[in-house]
Amino acid sequence: MSEEIVRVEGLRKTFTLSRKQRKIERTNLTCKTAVDGLSFVANRGEIYGLLGPNGAGKTTTLRILSTLIKPDAGDAFVCGCSIRKDTSKVRDKIGFMTGELKLEGFFTPDYLFDFFGAMHGVGKETLQTRKKELFARFGIDRFAQVAVKDLSTGMKQKVSLVIAIVHDPEVIIFDEPTNGLDVLTAKVVTDFLCELKSMGKSVILSTHIFSLVEKVCDRVGIIIDGRTVADGTLKEVCADLTLEERFFRVYREVKGDVV
Amino acid sequence: MKLAALIKKEFHRFFHDPRLIVTMLLPGILIYVIYSIMGGVIHDHAAAEDYKFNVYVQGQSEAIETIETAAEQAGLSLTLTPTDDAATAQEAVKNGDITAFLCFSEEGALTIYYRSVDGESSAFRAFVLDVMHFYDELDLSDVEAFTASFTSGILPFIVVVFIFSACMSITLESMAGEKERGTLSTVLVTSVKRYQITLGKVIPLSCIASIGAASSFIGVACSMPSLMGVSIGGVFGSIGFVGFLLLFLLILSVVPLIVSLICVVSAYAKSVKEASAYTSVVMILIMILSLVSTFLSGIGAWTVAVPVLNAVVCMQGILAMNMSIWQSVVSVVLNFVYTALLVLLISKMISSEKIMFGS
Repeated sequence: MSEEIVRVEGLRKTFTLSRKQRKIERTNLTCKTAVDGLSFVANRGEIYGLLGPNGAGKTTTLRILSTLIKPDAGDAFVCGCSIRKDTSKVRDKIGFMTGELKLEGFFTPDYLFDFFGAMHGVGKETLQTRKKELFARFGIDRFAQVAVKDLSTGMKQKVSLVIAIVHDPEVIIFDEPTNGLDVLTAKVVTDFLCELKSMGKSVILSTHIFSLVEKVCDRVGIIIDGRTVADGTLKEVCADLTLEERFFRVYREVKGDVV
Repeated sequence: MKLAALIKKEFHRFFHDPRLIVTMLLPGILIYVIYSIMGGVIHDHAAAEDYKFNVYVQGQSEAIETIETAAEQAGLSLTLTPTDDAATAQEAVKNGDITAFLCFSEEGALTIYYRSVDGESSAFRAFVLDVMHFYDELDLSDVEAFTASFTSGILPFIVVVFIFSACMSITLESMAGEKERGTLSTVLVTSVKRYQITLGKVIPLSCIASIGAASSFIGVACSMPSLMGVSIGGVFGSIGFVGFLLLFLLILSVVPLIVSLICVVSAYAKSVKEASAYTSVVMILIMILSLVSTFLSGIGAWTVAVPVLNAVVCMQGILAMNMSIWQSVVSVVLNFVYTALLVLLISKMISSEKIMFGS
């Protein structure tokens, strides 16, 4: 039986809408429910994909899991630690990579790797070994001493990735990991996700790219309007359909139309 | 280890960025250069050593002797010539034949006739007004007391303004800038404690701001001889070791307090631009407080409880050779307590998703 590593139970998160946001969203409602009773389970050594359209609540869910924001209701457990009560322990067990977390352009990848290693309390020797290994794996050693601000988007993404896993976390959370990457860098990232899985790590990723889910994910949860509308292994979710066909069928059932 | 890494990062950013170093040190150099040039221009007009002030005097007054004494002390070459013909004296001033004409009435009131277009004539008028102003209040032979009175009033205000400017230039970018760019969130995902993140900002920024403030202060102190005719020795000579120590501790307590204050504002603001606008308001408030204490004498002991103002009042006391050791010590302790409270507040603020990520 698979070992449960992340359990999400009835997460709920509501945001207050500012006047400007209400105008943009064309609504009179003062609140918006981003995540509405979301639940799922991810197992050790598996890649779990959160699939959904923009605004479905994927990023909010991952931000809650990474302890950046707190849920209004529900809880989530990472390696048995509650994100509400054992925040610090959870942070030690996860690596989080998202487009909204930026690296300071003034520093070099080499400096930042050491800095975030220290932030996670990684020992000097372990840090150096890990740096050598990861920098070689992603070809970062070529630009390790170049300031981040002078790097290309793909290079920055690689640096963000290695910094997210500097402390060798149990669970790695990726928000849209291949967004904005060229095909070569995207392949490096995709291959690395599979490698992490083979190393017994658990990966939770959010995406709206069907092919990525089909290629790397063991389990998938389809999220629409902050709720899980389908959850299980790829085979269970898709049945006799492709993932794309299944997604739009579910979407039509929930929303009534397809944009 | 984590705190050390955070502190090291701020220092690394500062000491590896030539622009930041220049921004921090340049004000002091500019102040010295500008004030020295200004002082040079003023003193060229006011008291050219070779210039002979030729002044006619009508009437009798004890003030005449005082003016002569003050001129002698200031190294001015002054010749006072008694006259009874006011009309001729006025005509001589108008034609530029003499520097000025002092007319004392029988009641002792003084009228000064001078030419405003003539630099020396205007400077002599200002000199006489200064002398007459202090005539009843100060013994002009006590130059030390005059210097202390002047420096104690203006120096603490200048010091606080420079400290604030130095703190502002680095703290806004470091706190509001990191929040705006999203680099602070990257640190928030790690297991480092929030108070460590706050201390990792406040400690190094305070050290760096102290360098900037010291640069500005040294600039002012070095330019004083040429700007005000007040020597550095005259300003600090009579303070003594305890006075110096208290001055140092007061400045040391004010720097982290102001850095923390700007950090609070920066953490609250959504962008550097917004933080800059809020901080300007805080700076104006602090300047008003400092100015109030500069121009109001005999402020009560309650000021010891008001952050920043307590340091200004204590510095004034020390420079005026009228220091209160207990008041200075309490001010220093209170300022550190306020800083600690602000550090806690900043830690709470960066833990708040509403403040860090908005709604």
